[in-house]
Amino acid sequence: MAGVITVAVVDDDRMLRDGIRSWFEGVEEVDLVACAATVDELLAGPGKPPDVVLLDLMLRDDRPPADNIRRLRAAGSRVLMISVVADRDRIVAAITDGADGFLTKDQELSVLVEAVGEIAAGRTAHSPELAFALAYDRGSMRPRLSPQEREVLVGYASGLTLKATARRAGITVNTAKYYLDRVKAKYQEAGRPTYTKIDLAARVREDGWR
Amino acid sequence: MHHPFWGVVIKGGRRIDRAETGLHRARKTMVIATALYRGSHLVAGGAVVTQHQHDRLFPWLALGAAVAATALIWFMAARHRRLVSWAVGLDVLTIGCLLPFGAYAWGGAHAQESIAWVMLLGGSSSAMAAVAFRARLLAVAVVLLVVTHLAGYLLVEADASVTGAHLNALVFSAVVSWVLTWYLCRQGKQVDSANRRALAAEAQRARFAERVAHHNALHDTVLATLTAIARGGVDANTSMMRERCAREAAYLRRLVEQADDREQASEVRAALEESVRAAEALGLRVTARYHEPPAVPGEIALAMARAATEALNNVRCHAGTGHAFLTAGGDSGRLIVTVVDRGRGFGGGAAGPDGAGASEGAEAPGGAARPPGPARPGAGGIGLDRSVHARMRGVGGRAFVDSAPGEGVRVELRWPG
Repeated sequence: MAGVITVAVVDDDRMLRDGIRSWFEGVEEVDLVACAATVDELLAGPGKPPDVVLLDLMLRDDRPPADNIRRLRAAGSRVLMISVVADRDRIVAAITDGADGFLTKDQELSVLVEAVGEIAAGRTAHSPELAFALAYDRGSMRPRLSPQEREVLVGYASGLTLKATARRAGITVNTAKYYLDRVKAKYQEAGRPTYTKIDLAARVREDGWR
Repeated sequence: MHHPFWGVVIKGGRRIDRAETGLHRARKTMVIATALYRGSHLVAGGAVVTQHQHDRLFPWLALGAAVAATALIWFMAARHRRLVSWAVGLDVLTIGCLLPFGAYAWGGAHAQESIAWVMLLGGSSSAMAAVAFRARLLAVAVVLLVVTHLAGYLLVEADASVTGAHLNALVFSAVVSWVLTWYLCRQGKQVDSANRRALAAEAQRARFAERVAHHNALHDTVLATLTAIARGGVDANTSMMRERCAREAAYLRRLVEQADDREQASEVRAALEESVRAAEALGLRVTARYHEPPAVPGEIALAMARAATEALNNVRCHAGTGHAFLTAGGDSGRLIVTVVDRGRGFGGGAAGPDGAGASEGAEAPGGAARPPGPARPGAGGIGLDRSVHARMRGVGGRAFVDSAPGEGVRVELRWPG
């Protein structure tokens, strides 16, 4: 079936996995191919890697999120981070580490499906919660944003639609979206910043220092 | 209106000044005291020059130099809210040490009576030095003044008793002013630390009150719901139950995020939370996010929260959507709260159900680009506009309402306006 997006869920909460499975059953454009509690379990499974992986921001295994994201990307999947709460530092870290979007788990199905579609098409799934985390990032490695990028980011983070954000900034919707994409790109270009001591330890390990 | 805890002075509901600390006040007192001391010397000098030395140029120049040096010191003191040491140092060297010799060489002041007014200025120099300098520099300055003034009086062959009295005055001007400075600054620091303790206690009380409020809220909501489900006999899959769970999950989510933010308990946040919970209780889903909202006096927090409640009510009744976004943050000390929805909006040509146009504060130019086209205020929009405006203006804040058809409404509340 052409045009169907294959999706997997990695979350250690079984109730949520079951919930998402029953949710996606009624959606034609999305095919949920796998549910797993950890990234290891997903990668060990049979079949081609899915187009998009919904990855819980706070998995309770000992793998650092950066590691999980990198391995999924290396396997050929794109990553949409999901989480119960919007922990801003972790959202920012996940984006720098290569995730293409973030959503809290209380979103409606239509929002989730739209985000999956955006990411499968190689774009970014923008959400007010992601914009808020980036707009008020206080991390030492945060990239410099232009005034226009900042205005669009803050507007979108406040809950305005992209259209309303664009109108207030006096630009087109496409330009507004371009600014949001550029903010994300800047974060991903900012290299491999270390946000927490755990991350730092992981970096040291992956750089072969021990 | 002055608020002791936030150190905010609101004049006529508009201007705010950062209140002085006790230390600032102590330093200001010393600036004023030494200024009066120097002033008395300048007046005495002026009297002598106009009465006895008005036919010579140098005394006038000397008086002018003393006035200029004093003006410089005051100007710098006004800018830095304390005596600036380099300006005082300049005064000690030129007015205190050099001027007496100038008066002797070019001013024809060869007698004790004619040089006395110039010598007098050294006393106020020494007093200012005691305020502005640290101990070692002060000792150097006083020794310099004593030595030069001794030399000056020896040159004019003054009485030993006059010389002694003057040198005594030089030294004790410094001593008295040093003791006063030390005492006042110590008192000022004590007042400051007492204020800090009061502030901390107030914050502690606010935190405690917030915790009690959360406990009560948790008891009435999450705990009650979970208990009912656990007991059985309740269908957890009805839409009413699901809505209730979603609402309570949203509340818990904000609680967790607040703990993650490690932000100080703030009165604004607590007040806004109450507005959000009230709106949620009426069935509106509210995504509330906070980013370090600046601390404001309690009555301002309350007014903000009431205006926010009004904006949320407007979303619930007129927006045609069940979801609103509330954001609270700061912009260089100014508290900014926005209430945004993605509903049907109003304004422009196609009037919404409220038939209202995009509008904003009457004399308020918005920060961001405004939509082109005529603003045509109508029934519902202007109602919202008017009521949030009245509330915000009453406390010296401001409100902006912005909307376009199909693009929701954005209400921005600011304090100070």
